[in-house]
Amino acid sequence: MTQMLNARAGKITEEMEKVAIHENVDVKFIRKGIAEGTIVIPKNKNRDRSKICGIGEGLDIKVNALIGTSSDRAQVEMEARKLKVAEEAGCNSFMDLSTGGDIDGMRRQTLSLTNVAVGSVPLYQAGVEAIHKYGSVVDMRPDDLFQTIEKQAADGLDFMAIHSALSLDVLRTLQKTGRVTEVVSRGGSFLTGWMFHNQKENPLLEQFNRLLAIMKKYDVVLSVGDAVRPGCTADSLDQVQLKGLMLAGDLVKRALEAGVQVMVEGPGHVPLNHIESTILLQKRLCYNVPYYVLGFLATDIAPGYDHITGAIGGAYAAMCGADFLCYLTPAEHLGLPNEEDVRAGVMATRIAAHAADITRGRKKASDRDLQMAKARVSLDTDKQIELAIDSNSLLEAKAMDTDNAGCDCAVCGPDCSATIAAKYFGMA
Amino acid sequence: MSLLRNGQNGVVTKEMEEVAAQEKVSPEFIRQGVAEGKIVILKNANHSNAVPLAVGEGLRTKVSASVGLYGKDASIDHELEKIKAAVNAGTDAIMDLSVTGEIDAMRKEVLATVSKPVGTLPLYQAMANASRKNGSPLKMTVEDIFEAIEAQAAEGVAFLALHCGTTMDIVERAKREGRIDPLVSYGGSHLIGWMIHNQRENPLYENFDRVLEIAKKYDVTLSFADSMRPGCLADSLDGSQVQELVVLGELVQRTRDAGIQVMVKGPGHVPLNQVKTTIKLQKSLCKNAPYFVFGPLVTDTGVGHDHISAAIGGAVASWAGADFICYVTPAEHIGIPNTDQVREGVVAARIAAHCGDLAKGMPGAINWDLEMSIARKELDWDKQISLAIDPGTAQRIWKERSDDFSSKCTMCGQFCAMEIISQYLNTDTKYGC
Repeated sequence: MTQMLNARAGKITEEMEKVAIHENVDVKFIRKGIAEGTIVIPKNKNRDRSKICGIGEGLDIKVNALIGTSSDRAQVEMEARKLKVAEEAGCNSFMDLSTGGDIDGMRRQTLSLTNVAVGSVPLYQAGVEAIHKYGSVVDMRPDDLFQTIEKQAADGLDFMAIHSALSLDVLRTLQKTGRVTEVVSRGGSFLTGWMFHNQKENPLLEQFNRLLAIMKKYDVVLSVGDAVRPGCTADSLDQVQLKGLMLAGDLVKRALEAGVQVMVEGPGHVPLNHIESTILLQKRLCYNVPYYVLGFLATDIAPGYDHITGAIGGAYAAMCGADFLCYLTPAEHLGLPNEEDVRAGVMATRIAAHAADITRGRKKASDRDLQMAKARVSLDTDKQIELAIDSNSLLEAKAMDTDNAGCDCAVCGPDCSATIAAKYFGMA
Repeated sequence: MSLLRNGQNGVVTKEMEEVAAQEKVSPEFIRQGVAEGKIVILKNANHSNAVPLAVGEGLRTKVSASVGLYGKDASIDHELEKIKAAVNAGTDAIMDLSVTGEIDAMRKEVLATVSKPVGTLPLYQAMANASRKNGSPLKMTVEDIFEAIEAQAAEGVAFLALHCGTTMDIVERAKREGRIDPLVSYGGSHLIGWMIHNQRENPLYENFDRVLEIAKKYDVTLSFADSMRPGCLADSLDGSQVQELVVLGELVQRTRDAGIQVMVKGPGHVPLNQVKTTIKLQKSLCKNAPYFVFGPLVTDTGVGHDHISAAIGGAVASWAGADFICYVTPAEHIGIPNTDQVREGVVAARIAAHCGDLAKGMPGAINWDLEMSIARKELDWDKQISLAIDPGTAQRIWKERSDDFSSKCTMCGQFCAMEIISQYLNTDTKYGC
């Protein structure tokens, strides 16, 4: 039984209890959310781990980090280091997007080294293996694809991004309307190439029931991939994106009916003034299932700083109702991130998530800010270190004794006027 | 005649033409904005090497970087290096907020070397002078304050940050209401200490007409500083902040009536869902005077990454109508930023400003994004780097994170999405990747 089927049967699972305690909400709220599809708990039946998180309405925003090899850089050790850095930085989950080297080995390493939810895009492995086996991704056999999905599910992946919401009809719209950056999703581009070449419908759409059966068997959360997400702000909320979203909604309905936990992936590049509409449309068309967004990047022009453009769009998106933020690193659009980039990406995204949690009335989040404000007023450095999302820089400053607790300016002198003001307010 | 009076009289000045050309708007649009007080042009005739800068409604959102001597180890040379870094990173203005050492020499050096408009906070120098002259900043006289203001205006400072709206009534309210952090503003805290010690009303409020006289003489823009900006999320939009904004709104009217340009400084720490309201309130109470915001930071817990916390708030603020963003560096709440942190702060603030401009539909912002996206589609790396908001950093990361930076990107390796799609949609791609 999946978490969803348990919830619908009125049963409260151990995972629901863990999530309820962690989120400080009534477990009945969790059960109801899972039954209705507004909350998911990524937890594969075949994988044991202690850190369980829920994603969705009424819960803290969660943060995902991406790792994985590419054909140019298949260093398994480096990816292991990145996992460690990202988990220490506080990410709630990983996606292993490996496309190079020993993909199976890499995935198994990720699953064994981490204690959080792990997701993947099985199409990458299927596509890359088709290239090696048949010479081209367009020669990939649908059966190979489903075998890869089943193999990964059996390995214990907790959620999978699957690009079922792409059809020949959506591609015809793409051809008709034109777009600046047509398809920026790698999985989406594999499938688009395959569909055009073979003049066949998307196998992940055509055989959606087959997919649902695998998801259900292992209780993998289906993350409906966003094959036609906007890759630049100019393409945001265009016809192609909306058609993809409507198709995703149809598939969400089928997943919910089958008792499969499901969420929907989203953009991508979205200008600030499109964010609220983007979220509202997803929630409306996709039956309020959790929305998992990449970014959003609020502008295209800042390669080298996309963790920041992503934090801007991500915070606003989460305030408007996005539930799960996939991080961006400073290396986005430029290359594969190193450990330092990974850390920067997780921290920026956690700040975005936390800023949004405050606006969503999460008491734990606003209390933390209040405590931090009080610690600043009382110049309690240790407390500030404890409350900071990232305490590293405060710790460094403390070690070097460069923190700003002391006052050193010509204005003050022995007769500091600010000290008098502080006494007046009872702060000194 | 002042820029504001010229605008009101239908005269398009040289400065208006210059900023119109920068902004790609008509000189008439600038003239009207200046006349109505929605736009200010930052330019002091005595700072001859500075290019005028327009700030306000319908214009690109601007960014300011603050530097200054602070602490024993501060040196003018080091601060000048930071200014250079800030200018290279694309700041539109510099604020010299020196509080220690050779404050006068520092400001003169800044004015001599920087071709951007410079802002200052003259109260610091007035208090330092009083310390030196009278033995205590608490013995600062009203004359000391106005001497410092006039000296700095005469030297060529384009905008003067002055805490004119911090009345005793507001200070008492902050105490009564139990503000978590009533001493956020450095200058404001010292002013409040002086007021309490001397049991006197704020001299900048009491003698506001003298402020106006000096501003008029040199046609300097007033930048109303706020002592009651929220220093934590919990204090955002409290009684003290709003009351100070009400007082500042009254002073905005008096300033305009005197023919002087004025803008208002704001937050601070603001929860993301209060940013829009904060901007709307300022615009409404201050009669659409340009809003110069610090951040805003959307959480108190982002220390070490406060440039990011501020970029989130600044982007939404810019979209909601803030016109001028004061940068926040990663050193905020820790110490004094180094040169690298200054650059990061400026770039983060520029990203925020741009995201707001894009959301407002500013044609320049939309085109910039579009050009970058086309360069991405065409896999034109040179163009992507040159269009990047910080080309140097983009170039460095690209080289370091890609094995073969001359053609491929490591991101997708041989499985480039752009390339695969182009094959099947028959769109032209300059294969590079």
